[in-house]
Amino acid sequence: MKLNELTIAEARKRLDAGDLTSTELTKACIAEIKNQNPTLNAFIEVYEDDALEQALRSDERHSRSECLGALDGVPLGLKDNLLNQGKEVTSGSNILKGHISAYDATAVRKLKGQGAVILGRTNMDEFAMGSSTEHSAYGPTKNPHDLERVPGGSSGGSAVAVAAKMALGALGSDTGGSIRQPAALCGTVGLKPTYGRISRSGLMAMASSLDQIGPFAKTAEDAALILEALQGPDSLDQTTSNHPLFVPEWKKDLSGVRIGLPRQAWGAGMHDEVRSEVMRGVEALKERGAEIKEVDLPYADEALAVYYVVMPCEVSANLARFDGMRYGLRVKDLPLFETYAKSRAKGFGPEARRRILLGTYALSRGYYDAYYLQAKRVQTLIRKAYEQAFTEVDMLVTPTAPNPAFRLGEKTTDPLTMYLEDVFTVGVNVAGLPAVSVPCGKADGMPVGMQLIGRHFDEAGILAAARIFEESD
Amino acid sequence: MALTREQVQGLADLARLDLSEDELKTAEQDLDKVLGYVERLQEVETQGVEPFAMPARTAWREDVSLPCDHAACEIILSNFPERSGDLLKTPGVFESPKGKKA
Repeated sequence: MKLNELTIAEARKRLDAGDLTSTELTKACIAEIKNQNPTLNAFIEVYEDDALEQALRSDERHSRSECLGALDGVPLGLKDNLLNQGKEVTSGSNILKGHISAYDATAVRKLKGQGAVILGRTNMDEFAMGSSTEHSAYGPTKNPHDLERVPGGSSGGSAVAVAAKMALGALGSDTGGSIRQPAALCGTVGLKPTYGRISRSGLMAMASSLDQIGPFAKTAEDAALILEALQGPDSLDQTTSNHPLFVPEWKKDLSGVRIGLPRQAWGAGMHDEVRSEVMRGVEALKERGAEIKEVDLPYADEALAVYYVVMPCEVSANLARFDGMRYGLRVKDLPLFETYAKSRAKGFGPEARRRILLGTYALSRGYYDAYYLQAKRVQTLIRKAYEQAFTEVDMLVTPTAPNPAFRLGEKTTDPLTMYLEDVFTVGVNVAGLPAVSVPCGKADGMPVGMQLIGRHFDEAGILAAARIFEESD
Repeated sequence: MALTREQVQGLADLARLDLSEDELKTAEQDLDKVLGYVERLQEVETQGVEPFAMPARTAWREDVSLPCDHAACEIILSNFPERSGDLLKTPGVFESPKGKKA
């Protein structure tokens, strides 16, 4: 087995035992990046010298019997929307080409504090808007299982970095499925934690009330190790929660665990093989002791509609800061209005512009009540529907995405067909819940993901179930 | 509901996006499709339902100014699209205050 194929937990044991150095591990990842990245385009920048320097420091700490945490010496990738002081970070957009981070995102600061090795920044749909990583200023990322197909998105680069064994883990962000859907399409584990679990300070905002940082990893156990490193309240993000911290609670079986299959999610509009593979996954959970029952979860279609109102409204506000004034691209030698309008038109790609216009419309006078306010009311109903479902069951299971990875270019002409790929994932963001996608068989020869959705702050429950599924699969 | 070209142009002006005729046409079609989909929200009965709002944290940090370290200052300055010494250069605010539509 090559070193870059190790899980984080395996690497940790060998690093601690002294039969592996971080330098060896980091070199193995960099070699794999050099081998595969020219084809896959998962990393848009690799920090080879810095990574080897960080690895050396980790090895020096080990020789002094010091260890900063579970991630000390572990090579990881960062999505291109997480600030990393002194490094270029652009959210996959032309409007930020050349922009250098002035400070570290809290999540990045915590990784560094644990001694993690940062390999580079990964490709993404511009400002995290998309489900295919085709909307990037750096060109598309390819799915390692079939180069003609998309890896999903928006965190496609991070998903591919882990799936193709170029990194032991990676960070992404999930606003409507941007961690779970690419994890499913590439065959890795992807965790979207509860809203408020991880500080968003230094994450370039797309839709602030829905965004959440989370890990990609090879296993549920590895995802738990990264979550433990990143979590906790932060004075720089007032939406972080004071709820007790996540502690893994691994189980031997699922006896006493009630798992719900939302009737509305398992209806029409899903690839046959996706359905049969995820049903097989549900059977495996049942064999390990879980009680399976159908539950009612109304407003499944409405959740997608709420998302496509609330998200663009927040996008139009959050992206107003990119105006060519203090940073980013400026079209020069024009009066003020034209400087704004030409800089933004030149800097933003088609999907970002589309969502800005949509949000501008939904927030404009005369339409605000009908769109934004109504969407926020329906959001209350959706959250109540999940709360009701969680009185009957402990977690919910759905496919992560309705279809396996689609072909490059297949869904770029009609935005709505791309949006419909998010139908199983967005409800979780609208309700602020945690959810994990685990690999669950194949459809059309491509990976399928099973999504486990938990109660607020019950990452321990869904990760334990995910790990039991991994063991039985 | 269909948007008129004038409405789309108005949104582009509000959003400070200088779009070509072709881009306006595409935007018009795309917005119609998405608005057609989200229209279903109008059918949900929400009488007496409060719009969702995230509860704010009860503990706030002190509102104090913190020093910016030299390295961070240098990076912020280096990110300015145009500068004059340590000052940010911008187009004149009073040259066309309300934009081209004024």
